[in-house]
Amino acid sequence: MTCVQCYQLSEQALVLSIDGLITQEVRQKIFALAQTANNTNDFFDIVPANSSITFYLNDFTRTDYWLEQLITLWEKSEPEAFTPKTHLIDTFYGGEYGPDLNEVSELTGLSQRQVIELHASKEYQVGFLGFLPGFGYLESLPEKLRLPRKATPRAHVPALSVAIAESLTAIYPSISPGGWHLIGRCEQPLFDPHADSPSLLAPGDIVRFIPKEPS
Amino acid sequence: MLKVIKPGVFSSIQDLGRHGHRHLGVSQSGVLDPIALKAGNALLGNKETAACIEITVGLAEFEFTKPCNFAITGGNLNAKLNSKALYSGWRYHAKAGDIIKFASHPEFLRAYLCVENGFDVPAVMNSRSTDCQAKFGGFEGNALQKGDCIPFSETLVPCSELAIKPSDYTNVVRVLKGPHCDILPEGYLEQLLSQTWTVSELSNRMGVRLERSSLLTHQKSIDSQGVHPGVIQLPPTGTPIVLLNDCQTTGGYPIIATVIRADLRHFSQLAPTKPCRFELVDFDVAKTALQKQLQEITRFKIAKQQLENKK
Repeated sequence: MTCVQCYQLSEQALVLSIDGLITQEVRQKIFALAQTANNTNDFFDIVPANSSITFYLNDFTRTDYWLEQLITLWEKSEPEAFTPKTHLIDTFYGGEYGPDLNEVSELTGLSQRQVIELHASKEYQVGFLGFLPGFGYLESLPEKLRLPRKATPRAHVPALSVAIAESLTAIYPSISPGGWHLIGRCEQPLFDPHADSPSLLAPGDIVRFIPKEPS
Repeated sequence: MLKVIKPGVFSSIQDLGRHGHRHLGVSQSGVLDPIALKAGNALLGNKETAACIEITVGLAEFEFTKPCNFAITGGNLNAKLNSKALYSGWRYHAKAGDIIKFASHPEFLRAYLCVENGFDVPAVMNSRSTDCQAKFGGFEGNALQKGDCIPFSETLVPCSELAIKPSDYTNVVRVLKGPHCDILPEGYLEQLLSQTWTVSELSNRMGVRLERSSLLTHQKSIDSQGVHPGVIQLPPTGTPIVLLNDCQTTGGYPIIATVIRADLRHFSQLAPTKPCRFELVDFDVAKTALQKQLQEITRFKIAKQQLENKK
């Protein structure tokens, strides 16, 4: 069972926080509620995360109404109401594209091929975005691939690197420092501030990695 | 154009920030003191959202290549137009070729340079603010560099000199109780409030890190959740971080308190080594303070309008 509470974090920010086991059904409810609230135009931003949603209100005199209303909407929220968008991401694994594939293979006791097959076998959901514009935290990695972050982070992770750490996988939208294991790289741009739709990924989206050989 | 002769320690184009894209991991950015920007824009009859240059520390120098009405607001960084002293909160007129210089001041950290109609850089994701981490917005996505020429529209009719006086800066900042005080060791909120903190050298536009001799260490983490400027995170090292405009959009450190919106602007002037204290208030106080602050600008606009109608 989950226990839900709604609290005010600042003048304009309300947080719906979910305590308990976050099942796929709860996750879908989170994205469904975020969508419902977004359609009201009362919020200038809505940030879903693993076990919470932060709502940024346009009008800070409406906090009392929304503190109650969000709980009501949560109770009414149907997991099926949210239909995620799916992205197929062509990925070059290993070699110069995934400099840590060898190490991941050694640490997990799997062959490089098995690591690739396992990573590409699953559908991942964007739990939330953060760290960098367009950086989605993708859940959840098969148990056998779960490793702690690297002891020493890299100063420069190349843009579009596909990486894993703990129960998550992600694609770095731009060059940045980073402590995740790099196993591949993709070609599809993830974030372009000048585009009409700047971020490829949005909360709740599904991602599948498709192994490709570089031509 | 405004030609950058010396960018100083750190100068960047900012407006009231980039909103509505947090769920995509995009930071708010924008001026650290929105009241200073609103005051500058009100002096010049600009839209509230017109972009300015935020100057950190000072030691900056710019040349107006065209005549221009401008205003300086925020902290007093001992600015001069050619050899004439300028005062914060005033509007002035510059002729083509005039040089504006910002020195520095031991008590202030940031000043704002506004021009009539604002700096004309392209809006990216609905804002002209520079996102210095992700490198977009502002002038070519970066802090200002020597030789940059920032476009603005020239003003041929010089303005009369006029001033606005926003309320003073302080280092006693009002906060709301954070949601994670119960999971932190007992008495940590009281300790945050009862003692004086020192602004650390590791502070920047992403956040102000606070230090003192006995730190509030712990071993708790929370599930990452949305964060925004004003949130005070308490990482396990025990040095509270007041998040500012360039902060990330989600965070996994417990939130011990949140700075009220009306008071967040004071961090624009708190340089490393400066002391700072917190005072606990409730949401009603926070709302009243914010409304009062917004009314100050509105009142000024009305007074200015009446003054101009008389002419």
